[in-house]
Amino acid sequence: MTALQIIFLITAVITLGAAAMVVITRNLVHAALWLIMTFFGISVLYVLLNAGFLAVAQVVIYIGAISILMIFAIMLTRRVQQDFGPQTNAAWPWALVIAAALFGGLIWIFSGWGNFFTQAPVMGERADPLRQLGMALVSPEQYVIPFEVASVMLTAALIGAIMVAWERK
Amino acid sequence: MLPVGYYIALSAILFTLGALGVLIRRNSIVIFMSIELMLNAGNLAFVAFARAYQSLSGQIFVFFIMAVAAAEVAVGLALIVAIFQTKRSIDVDQLNTMQG
Amino acid sequence: MNVQDLYAISPLIVLVTWATLLILVDVYIIRDRNGGTPILAALGLLVAMGFAIAQTGQQYTAFNGMAVVDGFAIFLQVLFLGSGLVGIALAYNYLQRMGIERSEYYILLLYSISGMMLMAIAADLIVVFLALELLSIPLYVLAGFGRPKVEPEEAALKYFLLGAFAGGFVVYGIALAFGATATTSLAGIVQAVNAGSANLTLLSIGAALILIGLGFKVAAVPFHMWTPDVYQGAPSAVTAFMSVGAKAGGFAALLRVFVSALPELAADLSPVLWVLAALTMILGNVVAIAQGNIKRLLAYSSIAHAGYILMALVVFGNTQVSSDAVAAALFYLVAYAVTSFGAWAVVIALEKAEQKGLALDDYAGLGRKYPGLAAAMAVFMLSFTGVPPTLGFVGKLYLFRTVLEGGFIWLAVIGVLTSLVSAYYYLRIVVIMYMRDGDPQVHAEPWLRLTAGVTAVATVVLSLYAGPLFAWASQAVLKLF
Repeated sequence: MTALQIIFLITAVITLGAAAMVVITRNLVHAALWLIMTFFGISVLYVLLNAGFLAVAQVVIYIGAISILMIFAIMLTRRVQQDFGPQTNAAWPWALVIAAALFGGLIWIFSGWGNFFTQAPVMGERADPLRQLGMALVSPEQYVIPFEVASVMLTAALIGAIMVAWERK
Repeated sequence: MLPVGYYIALSAILFTLGALGVLIRRNSIVIFMSIELMLNAGNLAFVAFARAYQSLSGQIFVFFIMAVAAAEVAVGLALIVAIFQTKRSIDVDQLNTMQG
Repeated sequence: MNVQDLYAISPLIVLVTWATLLILVDVYIIRDRNGGTPILAALGLLVAMGFAIAQTGQQYTAFNGMAVVDGFAIFLQVLFLGSGLVGIALAYNYLQRMGIERSEYYILLLYSISGMMLMAIAADLIVVFLALELLSIPLYVLAGFGRPKVEPEEAALKYFLLGAFAGGFVVYGIALAFGATATTSLAGIVQAVNAGSANLTLLSIGAALILIGLGFKVAAVPFHMWTPDVYQGAPSAVTAFMSVGAKAGGFAALLRVFVSALPELAADLSPVLWVLAALTMILGNVVAIAQGNIKRLLAYSSIAHAGYILMALVVFGNTQVSSDAVAAALFYLVAYAVTSFGAWAVVIALEKAEQKGLALDDYAGLGRKYPGLAAAMAVFMLSFTGVPPTLGFVGKLYLFRTVLEGGFIWLAVIGVLTSLVSAYYYLRIVVIMYMRDGDPQVHAEPWLRLTAGVTAVATVVLSLYAGPLFAWASQAVLKLF
């Protein structure tokens, strides 16, 4: 086993274990912390996949912003922080069956994908993905439309969130 | 170097876990966390495919999904806190004021 | 970038700029609550509609294949802008009456419409996904607009959680499509499939996941669970807009992606769509019978109508029929939009605070006390059922014809049979209005009366001149890559 494989294995186990804990833990704050662990594991995977910028963005956006907001929400809805009733709804055996089918299907499909076992090609030494990424986002030949639309969407979400949070007098 | 398929398989497991969480949990915040797991699984698959094809567009997509996730979290958590103030509960089982 | 690129998205630019400026105008210039924000918003929609109509007859892709201008895009943009206008007309008096008037309502409405318009011109899965979110996020907030009351908040949270869940499926589906073809552009997918470099199994599963996600948006069975609760809990004006706009937006994406990019997958996906369409028609119509609340009844009715439109999608792989099918689906969307808006206008006229005035029994005696309103409602119910001379009848006729041309006889039979079932509950409302005595309370403000009247007249008159409208829809073919 190479060092890379060992790192991948450890990260994979931590990521999936933490994700499983998000789904099964009873304590909401713990769930949020496990979620942060999952996000962190994924950002390590991004590094392994040579997507350094996304790894940083993952930490900043998912861990720095989204998880913190979630913890805020948990604190604001504190009374139910640790529910005593059942944490699962009545239909959970069905859900288990659906999820198992989904998983089996996906794995079966992927094993048919021709590139499944091919080694990932090494990114060129000279390539500067960050520069390319930045140029692609604002170039009219590439992704300027989605980029502008994302900003419109964030504006709309901002107004929407303010509307919801507004105290009616 | 590792086969890209490993990352894809991992993303499939993550996606399934997320879907499972949405389907079995009652607390809206946990459900929302599970949805974030699903989105992250999509992101991971994108980055892995982008690596396999040496293409940037997969990474760009991830960037946009992060923006969408941020927008959703703002609106969603605002709604969850709002309903908590009115109902003192955020369990989806309790969202039963409307009956047929 | 050249001028043509900007021209392609000019209606969208106008609307987004208008909405953003309206925020500032509303805060700094208008200030008072009953001010001109709704009128300005409507004006913005009209201006954008002018830009959209000015593009008639053109066909090209812009921004290197990110967006596409074709008859389909122009037709749908006009439909979305028109439903925005009706949405404002329905909301104007309703919000005042319910005491929830805030000018942000109209701004969020404009943003949601810009998402729908983007959906119509999207030619890349990235744009489809962002359009879906831009369409949905303002709607989540609008659904909860009656705060701080329990029902709208529950509706908003339910809509949000299921919408975000659906978004997760769309993301993963697009990831798989990207994995199968190494591209997210619809033209690129077609190229990859034709060149044989695509992994078709992976692409099929990706398409199926996208179908699940969009199935939530258009409320197709078995992804419809949220619909009755959300439609009932949300303010009626929002529900009216949602039942037309969000559904048409979802279908815009489905038609665009499946017909133009994925016809090669028909062998795998047509049976799936067949089952979805059949289930949606059957369940929507059968469950609607048991409803005693008009909003829930219309919710199940909207599910059933999603099933009829899905029929057009079943034939998507058959290139000879598919352009006819798209035209039939567009025509039916117009018929559904007109009829649905009219029916909701009547519902809003009868609704009172605290979710009162929504039981079917509250419609007793409407025929005697308010003959105009009752006649309009009767027209809408006949149109929903598909009785001539109404738009609903012509729409169903075109749909069934394309389905038969595509060779799906049993699906057409199911469609006809479920339409017969639907007659039971639609006509029951007519019977209640005219045969039973009651004392209905009506607040028919001018804009509501205008909307109900215009849509009722349009439902009948347009059906008599259906030929030109269908011809216009037939020109609205997708630009194939």
